Amino acid sequence: MANGEILAGFLAPHPPHLVYGENPPQNEPKSEGGWEPLRWAYERARKSLDELQPDVLLVHSPHWITQVGHHFLGVRHLSGKSVDPIFPNLFRYSFELEVDVELAEACCEKAAQRGLTAMMMRNPKFRVDYGTITTLHMIRPQWDIPIVGISANNSPYYLTTEEGLDEMDTLGRATREAIEATGRRAVLLASNTLCHWHFHEEPDTPEDMSREHPQSYDGYKWDMRIIELLREGKTAEVFRILPQFIDEAFAEVKSGAFTWMFAAMDYPELPGELHGYGTVIGTGNAVMEWNLVKAGLAGAAAIPPSAAGGREAYAGAMR
Amino acid sequence: MTAVSAFLVPGSPLHLLRPDNPPWRPIIAGFERAARALAVSRPDAILLYSTQWIAVLDALWQARPRLTGTHVDENWHDLGDMPFDIRVDTDLAHACVKAVKAAGISSKSVDYDQFPIDSGTIVATRLLDPDGRFPLVMAANNLYHDAATTMKMAGVAAATARAQNKKVAVVGVGGLSGTVFREPVAIEQDRIAADSDDDWNRRILRLLEKGETGQLDGRIDEYAREARVDMGFKHFAWIRGAIGGRFFGARVHGYGPAHGAGAAVIEFRL
Repeated sequence: MANGEILAGFLAPHPPHLVYGENPPQNEPKSEGGWEPLRWAYERARKSLDELQPDVLLVHSPHWITQVGHHFLGVRHLSGKSVDPIFPNLFRYSFELEVDVELAEACCEKAAQRGLTAMMMRNPKFRVDYGTITTLHMIRPQWDIPIVGISANNSPYYLTTEEGLDEMDTLGRATREAIEATGRRAVLLASNTLCHWHFHEEPDTPEDMSREHPQSYDGYKWDMRIIELLREGKTAEVFRILPQFIDEAFAEVKSGAFTWMFAAMDYPELPGELHGYGTVIGTGNAVMEWNLVKAGLAGAAAIPPSAAGGREAYAGAMR
Repeated sequence: MTAVSAFLVPGSPLHLLRPDNPPWRPIIAGFERAARALAVSRPDAILLYSTQWIAVLDALWQARPRLTGTHVDENWHDLGDMPFDIRVDTDLAHACVKAVKAAGISSKSVDYDQFPIDSGTIVATRLLDPDGRFPLVMAANNLYHDAATTMKMAGVAAATARAQNKKVAVVGVGGLSGTVFREPVAIEQDRIAADSDDDWNRRILRLLEKGETGQLDGRIDEYAREARVDMGFKHFAWIRGAIGGRFFGARVHGYGPAHGAGAAVIEFRL
């Protein structure tokens, strides 16, 4: 099988507050809501993903930290209860997921061929990190699409930011090769917040939105500058200033998912669609989409008839 | 004195998961000697701080009476599972939350089924107290706390134990130098990754052995920076805080590598 392709990439941050605010049955703690603009942003992203009907979702999460190499989930079925170590009061989520092991192995192999240290995670008792789970729930709560989970090697923190992001560029290119070689129609999820300055204490009622705002005005201004460039499709400019953004806004994109995703998509100068922006304990979060099918950069012919039918039905419902 | 013994131990899962690997034998032997010393000191509870239990809001304290399960390390998942069964002194933990909060450091307890227990805590408890004889009080490493805040927190915890007439063993879980191999290395060939790190580690261990607290105070920041010490050596700050700042020397029960990083099992003379 060959001719796989990347259909779209999403910037899909993972604050567990969004799951908490939504009150899905899988999550034990219950809320009165909260963070609606960001949750509505994810609703729009869900609809778009639904139209794309990918074979697989690939997610790179900063909360699976690996010291030695880039790791890939390599167990077909994983389940358990994920308790967020930082916000256990908000996120205690029972999950079950299916891994596209064949694609994960191909990603691992291609990464190794490009000189990266890469390994498969084969332990069936492994606890999937809450960043991976939150992003996947928010983008596809049905859990009916296989996934590939990728760890965040600590290279951007251990080495310089630039050296670390170079590695993520290589990982992204390897991921693209693996997708093409395995014939998958894939969607990429970069599980990253933008400005990561945050409050150090939580309100008694975490979903009290009267207490939610950007922690830092400078960080907010950075987020708006980056989003505006992304909305204009000025990808090269974003990556030129990315190290400065990371330093000055303490941006979580340092952990690499954003670079990995854009490298895999070959850094298209394509206007990103902003589904929404909001803060969570003061951090800046944008849900954004780069739809390569709509832009003609991925083959619309590859969309199965069922997807096209679904799209028509959706369009009809909107009329 | 409230503290009847104090130890600094590594939290790498490598030693627990492959205890017979020759480069790791000195650490395992060190843990065995430290475990005997801890048992002899007969504490009522262990005050434990692991650099691998990360917090960013508040100082977190574990308050679930019993923690059981099987943990798989995020990086070393291929080496096996780490079952654990930990008892917590919940009276003392809750009192620590209250006292540390009163001392001006925002604190919270955590009491949740399947709360993720970090590798360091499991390694330390499995190797220092294999039979689970002593209940624990566990505090998280808040990334925004500096050494002074960590010392203050530990001091308040020790004072709280004293108020409950409890003797405590103090345990700081974390590594020494932090340079690691960034690629797989045959485990039987593990070694300290950089000679300069090894020199730094040995220099600091000598000062600890002699109890040269004055000289240590002047060198720790430089050591942390030059040798990339695990979390800036805050696990040592925890120990210093809980024992009132002073110790009269230390015994290095074992020193060796953990995939290039430095590791040591150290018992402090109180």
